[in-house]
Amino acid sequence: MIDIAIIGGGPAGQAAARQTLAAGLSTTMIDEQARPGGQILRQPPAAFAVKGWMAGRLYRPLRHLLAQTEADTRLDWRGSTSVAGIERIADHFRLTLSGAHGGTLLARRVLIAAGCYDMPVAMPGWTLPGVMSAGAVQTMLKSQQVVAGQPIVLLGSHPLLLVLATQILDAGAEVAAVLMPQTYGRMMRAALPHLPGAMFAPGPLIAAGAAMARLRRAGVPLMMGARPIGFIGNGRLEAVDYAWRGRTHRIAAQVAAVSYGFLPQSDLPRQVGAAVRWARPAGGWETVCDGAMRSSVPGLYVAGETTGVAGADAAMAEGEIAGIAIALDAGAQPASDMARAQARRARLQPFIDLLRAVADPRDVWPQATPETLLCRCEDISVAQVEATMARLSPMADASAVKHRCRIGMGLCQGRSCEHALVRRIAAAQGCDPDAVAPFRVRFPARPLPVDEIIG
Amino acid sequence: MSRIVDGVTRPAPITVEIDGAMIPAHPGETLAAAMVATGIYRMRDDRSGAPRGLLCNMGTCSECFVWIAMEDGWRRRRACLTPVEDGLRIATHEVPL
Repeated sequence: MIDIAIIGGGPAGQAAARQTLAAGLSTTMIDEQARPGGQILRQPPAAFAVKGWMAGRLYRPLRHLLAQTEADTRLDWRGSTSVAGIERIADHFRLTLSGAHGGTLLARRVLIAAGCYDMPVAMPGWTLPGVMSAGAVQTMLKSQQVVAGQPIVLLGSHPLLLVLATQILDAGAEVAAVLMPQTYGRMMRAALPHLPGAMFAPGPLIAAGAAMARLRRAGVPLMMGARPIGFIGNGRLEAVDYAWRGRTHRIAAQVAAVSYGFLPQSDLPRQVGAAVRWARPAGGWETVCDGAMRSSVPGLYVAGETTGVAGADAAMAEGEIAGIAIALDAGAQPASDMARAQARRARLQPFIDLLRAVADPRDVWPQATPETLLCRCEDISVAQVEATMARLSPMADASAVKHRCRIGMGLCQGRSCEHALVRRIAAAQGCDPDAVAPFRVRFPARPLPVDEIIG
Repeated sequence: MSRIVDGVTRPAPITVEIDGAMIPAHPGETLAAAMVATGIYRMRDDRSGAPRGLLCNMGTCSECFVWIAMEDGWRRRRACLTPVEDGLRIATHEVPL
């Protein structure tokens, strides 16, 4: 039995491990990637050498933490391993692992710092090969040093697209266009109330301004108010249709990178019964915690995007807070001061609020058609879901719809479609999405071979 | 080719077989990266036979499930999490008997 299992090797998990290791607690870190870093610092394969990798100033504290993590021989690092199950048994937890370090792991305490993923947004043609999340294109660049395709079109409401566009340019490739559905005026109006507070940590704002200037210099069209309509292609993506200043346009694309926001990875907290709530404004389920990152389940802590998508700096601060709390709760001495870590996290909030307001996708969603697949795993269309909802009681929850038409029953366990179904149910019932009961989360949280379960 | 070359040192390439075609890949790369870098975007077919490809590239969506020949038969794996190995055999939409 180990003292603490940390699920996720990103900034939150690493910052927590720094504290728990300093406190002398036996610490195991599990991640699906081969190397620590998380998605923000998704590392190249160990056999590669990449000159000036992620050299930007904003990444410096993250790189420093990563170097510390990799040098710490006390850490039991288990990469290339998925956590498929988590159970609370008496006074400890049992994790079911799959992959390189498959098997069972018993831990007195668990920190879930499992990050987030790009919100999948259903629109016509979105299942065509070549239509990817912005995160997919970005991690392909950062880690694999591969440009996902050419020409490439970036689209969606999230300003991450500006960062991604500059990273593609840095790689020596071209960006055909960046299509953002909100107008410049709406973006500025959304940002304005949060600007004064955000100026205490202006780094990301300066970076965003620099990115826009860079796109202008490179001649990349940044179209604000351009509404993506759908993806066109025969067997693979060939073009993107969008509406711009009252007319419909078509632009050639081999790859489209889509970003309307991010959803917290919530399978494991929900599987072990932790309280969650609907994330504002973009949706998905964030795990509820107290000021020391303790969830509603005794011994279970959460940090980083699991508690609501807020970026890598907030994840680092929350991981530090969680690590301090874990050390204190275990009767050990953490390396850092709790109040200072909490103050550091609090200072980041104005910028987080600004980014959430600017990226808010709710009034700029692309429109799905009846034929559009909502559930990509079980191939369930919008029309099938609507027909199922019409047959059920108006008060039916997400699981009732799932049992009738199989939406959310596939390999991704509803990670792609659940948020969209919950929004549809909320709209039909005229209630807040938070009032809709989501899917009951089942084992396993990740697909795993049957012989790994039955041994 | 869409691999970034400037400033990147990779191990010498090996060969991976995808649907009968031999493609180059560098040890350490993921299968998804080797496929995309070669222009192969189709990784599986859905129930209607329509092609599907990489969506999240982080193990979350399961869109990149491919068939991999293992000692005990064909197994489905996420291409974005599977490192390439010399002699790896992959099928995307039809498993050879």
